[in-house]
Amino acid sequence: MNPEITEIFSSELPVGETLRIQRARFAPEKVRPDAKRISVVSGIHGDELEGQLVIYLLAAWLREHPEALRGTVDIYPAVNSLGVDTIIRGFPLYEIDLNRAFPGARNDFLPAQVVHALAEDVEGSDIAIDIHSSNIFLREIPQIRINKAFSEATLPLAKQLNCDFIWIHDAVTVLEATFSHTMNERGTKTLVVEMGVGMRLTKAYGRQLLRGILNLMQREGIIETPTEFKVREPFTSEVGEVFYINAPAAGLFVPALDHCEVIEKEQWIGDIVDPLSGAVRESLYAPNGGVLFTLREYPVVYEGSLLARIFGESDEKN
Amino acid sequence: MKKIEILKLESLSRAPMVVEGYLFEGSDPDAPSVAVIGAMEGATTLPLYSASKLVDFLRNKLGSEKILGNILVIPSVNHYALNINERFWPLDKTDINMMFPGYNEGETTQRIAHRLFEAVQDYDYGIILETRTDLATCLPYVKLFKTGYEDVKSARWLGLKVIHHREPESIETVSLQYNWQLWGAKACSVVCPHEPLIDPASARVIMDSLINFLSHSGIIRYEAFNGYNSTVVTRERIEVIKSPRSGIFIPTQKPGTTVSKDETIGKIVHALEGEVVHRFLAPCDGMITCIYMHSLIFENAVAYRIAKIH
Repeated sequence: MNPEITEIFSSELPVGETLRIQRARFAPEKVRPDAKRISVVSGIHGDELEGQLVIYLLAAWLREHPEALRGTVDIYPAVNSLGVDTIIRGFPLYEIDLNRAFPGARNDFLPAQVVHALAEDVEGSDIAIDIHSSNIFLREIPQIRINKAFSEATLPLAKQLNCDFIWIHDAVTVLEATFSHTMNERGTKTLVVEMGVGMRLTKAYGRQLLRGILNLMQREGIIETPTEFKVREPFTSEVGEVFYINAPAAGLFVPALDHCEVIEKEQWIGDIVDPLSGAVRESLYAPNGGVLFTLREYPVVYEGSLLARIFGESDEKN
Repeated sequence: MKKIEILKLESLSRAPMVVEGYLFEGSDPDAPSVAVIGAMEGATTLPLYSASKLVDFLRNKLGSEKILGNILVIPSVNHYALNINERFWPLDKTDINMMFPGYNEGETTQRIAHRLFEAVQDYDYGIILETRTDLATCLPYVKLFKTGYEDVKSARWLGLKVIHHREPESIETVSLQYNWQLWGAKACSVVCPHEPLIDPASARVIMDSLINFLSHSGIIRYEAFNGYNSTVVTRERIEVIKSPRSGIFIPTQKPGTTVSKDETIGKIVHALEGEVVHRFLAPCDGMITCIYMHSLIFENAVAYRIAKIH
């Protein structure tokens, strides 16, 4: 099955090139009026590529199983297509984070036009999934981040996605400028996936999320197949707390643990060292036991740089 | 004048970044006070230059007896970006002006924002020197958010041609101006032209506006020349002109120029074949407030904004 490719935004570039933001649509020849539509988006940040692999795997699955399709699957692999191709997180030239520019407007500056085009195109979908890697600094286990304001509608869907962790966070005004906030406000139940690390692919995570998306689509009637997509039970932030470890000093962060380890309170996380003098500037210890679900990947740190996040039980229970 | 340390940050390989404020203590305890913030980002130097020239004026040219209220000037908050021509915080590329009110237990730029915010909270007035975020250069103007706490009257004391008075975008609720207003200061921003080299004429306009402000607010005793009787412009009055073609962009007018409807204000030349593929005509009578600031332009990019004359 070949998808229908549509340009949702284009702009002639100054020197012999055109910027295109494309959507591929997979749909059966006849779509039932009650059939659902899902949109899967990635590459809003140009340096986050894990979503590209997931979308490739999803598109390949749909090509192989056209008979299973009952609803509409729209995929948008590279929203910031110039950024993806040039390893630039923001919209090149403008240095704008597209996920802080929603909902955008047709008459605003170019990055705002791009996000406006995406929001308009995705609008009307029943479900949307926005796949991010972490940035280049942090490695994350597959997790869903949902805003508390929309969690009643989105939490049941998040549990289908075969991720390890669901992080429900409070509304922050900045998040109003994101794709997920905009789409949730417009009635599309939208989930944000974070996994892996910027500029890299983690194949196992890609396959894990694919299974989750297929499971979700099956449950929502978008695909119909006898295959059973067994998914894991995620832990959710409703039953515990997230603890942050920020660098107390500048230096080179040398972790002592592997990502995703279950750790105990006061366990050694790693050191911040000074290569010039050979001194250890700071040693870091876990403030709480739990799962080390975020770990710094890029070693250079300033005071405040995020080193790790732990999800665990709150203090009283430890 | 006292030099005070606002914050100090160590680095793995660079010299520590020490952000300093220049505090001029006034002689009149009843006079109002002001804090002026220069460059929070790099890759443009007019906010830095203007703030440093204000330090020079207050320190070397005015005479301390003429300083009535306290004045704190912080010329640069982001030396690390300025020194290597980066725009944002060089490691993680975050914008300090999107981190307010800041958080001292958070990430690096949140900590910088927190320490800066602590240092400026008790001032009656706040002026932030900044540049546009949208790849445009402009005439020097005042940006004043509608928060319910803004003060148009004191913004007029700057004597700049235009006060852009508008609702903040959601992302701007984490800017210094917005939070400073919420915490009780009469804060506004002077938006500076984005120029690779210092243009003395623009620098003079900004410097004069700061002196006007200090004089009219009673913070200094100084007989400044009057500035403009500022026109307050709302969003509805701004005409947006997008580029219908891409190519080499050649504006023929400057920001701040008053234009008539159908007057030629620029052109686009085909980047490979050299022919003029589009001529920009002013769609209305008005003043050009900002212009796209690169020689190469994308199709549909915003090329000009014009404040319409009613």
